[in-house]
Amino acid sequence: MSEWPHWLPLLAVLPLLGGVLTPLLFRRRPVIPCFWAVAVALVTAAVAVMLLLRLIDSGDFSYAVGGWLPQYGIELRFDQIGAFALPASLLVMLALVFSRHYVARTVDPEKISYYYALVLINLGGLNGFLVTGDLFNLFVFMEIFSVSAYALVAMARQPIAALAALKYLLLGALSSLLVLFSVGVVFAMTGTLNIEDAAVLLEGSSSMPAGLALAGLATGFAVKAALFPVHFWLPDAHAAAPAPVSAILSALVVKAGVVGLLRTLELFGGGESLYLQPLLSLMLWLGALGTLGGALMALVQRDIKLMLAYSTIANIGYIFIGLGLATTSAVGGAMVHAVNHAVMKSALFLAAGAMIHQTGLRNIDDLRGLGRRMPATAFGMAFTLVALSGVPPMAGFVGKWQIALGALEAGQPLPVAVLVLAGLVVLAFGVRMINALYFRPPARVSTVSSVEAPVSMWLPVLILAVASLALGLAGSSMLEFVAPAVQAIYGTPP
Amino acid sequence: MPELVDIRPLLAVLASLLCAGAVFTVRQSARWRAFWSLAAAGIKFALVWSMLPGALAGRVYVYQFGELLPGVAFGFRVDALGLFFALVSSTLWIVTTVYALAYMRGSHSLPRFFGFFALCISTTVGIAFAENLLTLFVFYELLTVCTYPLIMHNEDLAARRAGRKYLIYTLSGGGLILAGMIVLYFTTGTLSLAETGILEEAIGRSWLLAIFLLLIAGFGVKAALMPLHAWLPAAMVAPTPVSALLHAVAVVKAGVFGILRTIYNVFGIDLLRDLGYADWLAVLAGTVIVIASVNALRQKHIKARLAWSTISQLSYIVLAAALLTPLAALAAIIHIANQAFSKITMFFVAGAIERGTGKKRVDELAGVGRQMPWTMAAFTVASLSFMGVPLFAGFVTKWYLSLGALQAGEGIYVGVMVISGLLNASYWLPMIYLAFFRPPQTHGQDASPKPARVSPMMVVPILICAAYVILLGAGASAPAMPFSLAEAAVRFAFELKVPLE
Amino acid sequence: MTVVSSLASHIDYLVAVSLFLTGAWILLTSGNLVKKVIGLNIMETSVFAFIVTTGMVDEGAPPLVAAGLQGPFASPLPHALVLTGIVVAVSVTSLALVLILRIKAELGSVELDEIALAPKADDSAGQSNQRGSADE
Repeated sequence: MSEWPHWLPLLAVLPLLGGVLTPLLFRRRPVIPCFWAVAVALVTAAVAVMLLLRLIDSGDFSYAVGGWLPQYGIELRFDQIGAFALPASLLVMLALVFSRHYVARTVDPEKISYYYALVLINLGGLNGFLVTGDLFNLFVFMEIFSVSAYALVAMARQPIAALAALKYLLLGALSSLLVLFSVGVVFAMTGTLNIEDAAVLLEGSSSMPAGLALAGLATGFAVKAALFPVHFWLPDAHAAAPAPVSAILSALVVKAGVVGLLRTLELFGGGESLYLQPLLSLMLWLGALGTLGGALMALVQRDIKLMLAYSTIANIGYIFIGLGLATTSAVGGAMVHAVNHAVMKSALFLAAGAMIHQTGLRNIDDLRGLGRRMPATAFGMAFTLVALSGVPPMAGFVGKWQIALGALEAGQPLPVAVLVLAGLVVLAFGVRMINALYFRPPARVSTVSSVEAPVSMWLPVLILAVASLALGLAGSSMLEFVAPAVQAIYGTPP
Repeated sequence: MPELVDIRPLLAVLASLLCAGAVFTVRQSARWRAFWSLAAAGIKFALVWSMLPGALAGRVYVYQFGELLPGVAFGFRVDALGLFFALVSSTLWIVTTVYALAYMRGSHSLPRFFGFFALCISTTVGIAFAENLLTLFVFYELLTVCTYPLIMHNEDLAARRAGRKYLIYTLSGGGLILAGMIVLYFTTGTLSLAETGILEEAIGRSWLLAIFLLLIAGFGVKAALMPLHAWLPAAMVAPTPVSALLHAVAVVKAGVFGILRTIYNVFGIDLLRDLGYADWLAVLAGTVIVIASVNALRQKHIKARLAWSTISQLSYIVLAAALLTPLAALAAIIHIANQAFSKITMFFVAGAIERGTGKKRVDELAGVGRQMPWTMAAFTVASLSFMGVPLFAGFVTKWYLSLGALQAGEGIYVGVMVISGLLNASYWLPMIYLAFFRPPQTHGQDASPKPARVSPMMVVPILICAAYVILLGAGASAPAMPFSLAEAAVRFAFELKVPLE
Repeated sequence: MTVVSSLASHIDYLVAVSLFLTGAWILLTSGNLVKKVIGLNIMETSVFAFIVTTGMVDEGAPPLVAAGLQGPFASPLPHALVLTGIVVAVSVTSLALVLILRIKAELGSVELDEIALAPKADDSAGQSNQRGSADE
């Protein structure tokens, strides 16, 4: 249908509007805002499906907001990266379903409707970020999802949450300002804010302002994506936040940083820019360090959410290795891994949240023996941990294989060793968790008497666990799907 | 080779998968659990054996579904070598399931145990039938995952230590295989196991050496190729059916199977002859044979002695494959069966002795022959096989291995066979002597040894396996025996059209 | 000299970057949470100032005054961007201040080293992982 482009803004507008309306309509009600939020997320996902089908049919398309053509107005673009809005909406929907029982204990009852509002606003910001073709619009949507994320982290009741949220806020605001500054520099240099236009105008430029802008954008988005060494805001924030928020943060918000970097590469692409090659090498090596560091740190954690947070840092490292290698296989693998990791990490955070909710304990040794008492949740967690460590044919395998292959194609055998080693470390902490769940007797009174979490909590976990197998089997098709985007961003692959 | 599309390979893997699911869901009912476990093994057995006539006639069954990675399909291809491995595993699985049902009676977490037990057979057959290295790797890693709960069954400190060691070794091995696969795919663009070698000299010596080392070391972990063997003696803390099956049949044989596939289908005989890497592998294998046997001599626990004997016997297979001659290859393949049946007999006996008399150490074996005559007779049969006495299975292996060594011009390995035979005698014969010719030690309590009561469900499998050992030894050349299947596999690998000399 | 002249022509960059770095330094190294927020605001101001200066167009037709005029004028587009940016900055700052109020109420202080030393209130979820001082 020729009106499909008109539905493009809905991806962002629907959740934003839904979020803003939530506290107005449902002040102080604990349950109804949940249904409302799930419904909004579901409708957004449906819109995303339609747009995705159109993308597969006839390729990228764009939409000029208000009818103002790109030179003067804001352009929205739906390409393969924009298709990430579909898994994002679905993941948020599952996290919202999970929240129904979870927030009762973690968030102040008066503020529950604000919680749902913020989650929806976050989704709206994310979707807008994914589909915009305008630099300043990019900044605005980035701020929308970032500020809502800061607030969501602070919604947990523990005092540590406020401190973690503030740290996240300060570093996030710093990175946002770097991005804004760079947007200003690009505007000064090119006179336009449209990404495609600016890319054409910037082609081949190696002046100091161009380098400054590239550095600013890259650093800003790298902080948002928790690339080593600017990752240190992540463990506290993701561990302190309520579990569904941790899921959304690790799965989606962090990936937005990666998307931002992809857009930056698109902006400065064309292969001629002097500064691009050093940036790619830097991404590769920092990614490798982040992978190993994150995996090793995860291994020594006792708190389950901290373990998962460090695992996120490791997986972001994989993605950066792939992006830094700049071959078709590597970048395709990185993009596919971004989606797969989102699904797997959500499952894990939700499962961890369910366990914490039922037992009140967060230490891995305290969670022993839950395999029998919380069978569905424990199975979901065990299954997804196996998937995360890259056992084929599950979701964690495809991305890593492609990135390793890309490493050899680029003549760099070292990342292969890094990937294999890190995979083993991930297996190690995965096995430790599985051991605790299944092969150890309970260590605390509250675990002996705990029961399975409510359906609204274990069902999303199982759905996501099954998805991590399904996505693994569909790896080949996913790689084919993202190939055009790789072409577009990196130019002709070597 | 005419390739037929046939759904049987897929069914073979799926059938026991579904039965395993049934075992998990029927939780408490022991009868249904037994039913589904036996169904899993039985259906598998029937499906695999049904493909034997076709394979002997030269047909190859394939079944593919989709691509797991761009350019790498996920599918099955039943050729002679794969079918041989599957035959051995599926036959032994039935007897082991019967044995396990008796041995594990009264233990805890039985749904988990038998569920994963059935899953292991699925993954083993998946390894046997894999069409390419990726499919093999998938099932190989899944085998590790499914055997872990079995090793951890007792859930005590010893089990955890053993489990941790097992995982560290096997997962690291998996990592090495993965690295080898990536390099292989990068240099050749394929991972197929359907050819007599997908690598060529033109790729470059450094890549070829890297692939060889990575794959052989990776598979060598499960094949207990020293120095990567340390997990195997540690894993003896698992319940006896687990040790019997996994460490005599499934896990270790998957490892040697991987090595065989690497030598015959990834590199190919001709390329390896030119490269000369296999000579070093043969030297290593020969050394392992001797060292492991010497270590077996020093063990005081029955199961530990059996574990070291396994390590030694597995290297027979590796040595035979590394000699790169048709007769040696024949020895390698049939030893998969010979060693499996003989060793599993011994493990079953060890378990029966433990259940019947409570004895676990070699020096406690005095008089057991009188308490459990049939059991110890079976043990004697198996040990005669290992010693290489004619008419028993092990002799066939040694004969062909020696001939193959002479064919390759490496007469020294005949000497290794002789030494190994003597060492085997030196640690099996005392056990038999003690059992039959010494009166039991009385510790003052009961003066007269009563015949130990062991469930017939445990004794019958022992006898069946022992009988098969004799059958494999005496009737090796009869048609329709696995021997002819092994010959077919060798003919394919060496591209011979005529019967072996 | 070319260095001086190129520095002079890029004076707007220089001022903006130095203010930005000053703000960043305060943000990252100050021990007082309120001062960190002040540093953040300095950074924000530098960026806004920079963007506004990029709007100074030297040769162009100013809109709305008269037809056919030529001369320097301030392009309104960057002003619009900065207004949006200010709104964002205000909301971020207010969120930060609210969080600081909560930290003060629950942890007793807005100085980072005092927060690290003070015994943390047990979180309602049980024993938490022992972390060192809130490192940056």
